Amino acid sequence: MHIPDAFIPLPQAAVYWIIALIFIALALRWARRELSEEKIPLVAILAAGIFAIQAVNIPIPWGTSGHMMGAALAAIVLGSPFAAVFILTLVLIVQGVLFGDGGLTVMGANIINMGVIGGFVGYYSYRAFYPIFKSPYAPAFIAGWLSLFIAALACAVEMALAGTFPLGLGLFSMGMYHAVIGIIEGGITASAIYLIATARPDIMANTEGVPA
Amino acid sequence: MDKKTFIFAGIVIALIIAAMAPFIASSNPDGLESAFFGIFGAKELQGSSLDEEMAGSAEEEVAGITGNVFSFDSPFPDYSISGLAKFGEAAAVIFGTLLVVLVAWGLGKVISRPH
Repeated sequence: MHIPDAFIPLPQAAVYWIIALIFIALALRWARRELSEEKIPLVAILAAGIFAIQAVNIPIPWGTSGHMMGAALAAIVLGSPFAAVFILTLVLIVQGVLFGDGGLTVMGANIINMGVIGGFVGYYSYRAFYPIFKSPYAPAFIAGWLSLFIAALACAVEMALAGTFPLGLGLFSMGMYHAVIGIIEGGITASAIYLIATARPDIMANTEGVPA
Repeated sequence: MDKKTFIFAGIVIALIIAAMAPFIASSNPDGLESAFFGIFGAKELQGSSLDEEMAGSAEEEVAGITGNVFSFDSPFPDYSISGLAKFGEAAAVIFGTLLVVLVAWGLGKVISRPH
């Protein structure tokens, strides 16, 4: 879902950058308040894991592929959507600047889709579904799926505003592909939470018991 | 699992995924690219064959529509290191993963420093 430079006109790209910078500032404020000595290594591991897993494109039908985004995972494990903004921004900067993966002028839009929308949809859908299932795994799967699917629809709307995709066809095709890629996102999100919760139940404790 | 083992295991898992990525990743276009090629006639939205020539002209066409012709030569485009094939890609993804660990850890330290 990494938008390349040519897909968005520069004035719109600038608007996305401004919105993204507001969320980056809020994410830095989150980091200043919440990042304890305990949590810094977890942030680093999640960032590294998300960077690595984003390089693994898994084939889906229709000659297409998709990879995990990781925003829901970061937000659930660290207990804040701003954790996802913080981590995804770092990952997107390294991807864009060093590897040409995602444009630079449009990086604001990519941060909004994958960090902000991914993180907020992931975190709040997890919290909404947790009381229903009373276990982290089904809510984590749903949060992962929704975070990717909604981010993809937002991307389609941005493409329509940019004049790159017609709205209907963009929503249909982005929705169709990402409904399937979302299964990958949900599955890995739930599995990673199982691994982290098994290895370090103390880290997950406050997230598992989040009040509705 | 103690704290050090957990950190070590986490970084090792990330590096294993990074090392394997170029060998196991699908080279099919991703969701956004596939939608783009489909809408610009280089591929059927629900088909799997990609017309490379049409795909190339679609990329020129879209820059014409948006007027965004910004281009930037990244040092390792598409996770490749010139002259090195798949192993270069693995090295590039491993390098990126280690860089992300260092930047995240360093930034975390600087930001969380007591004021």
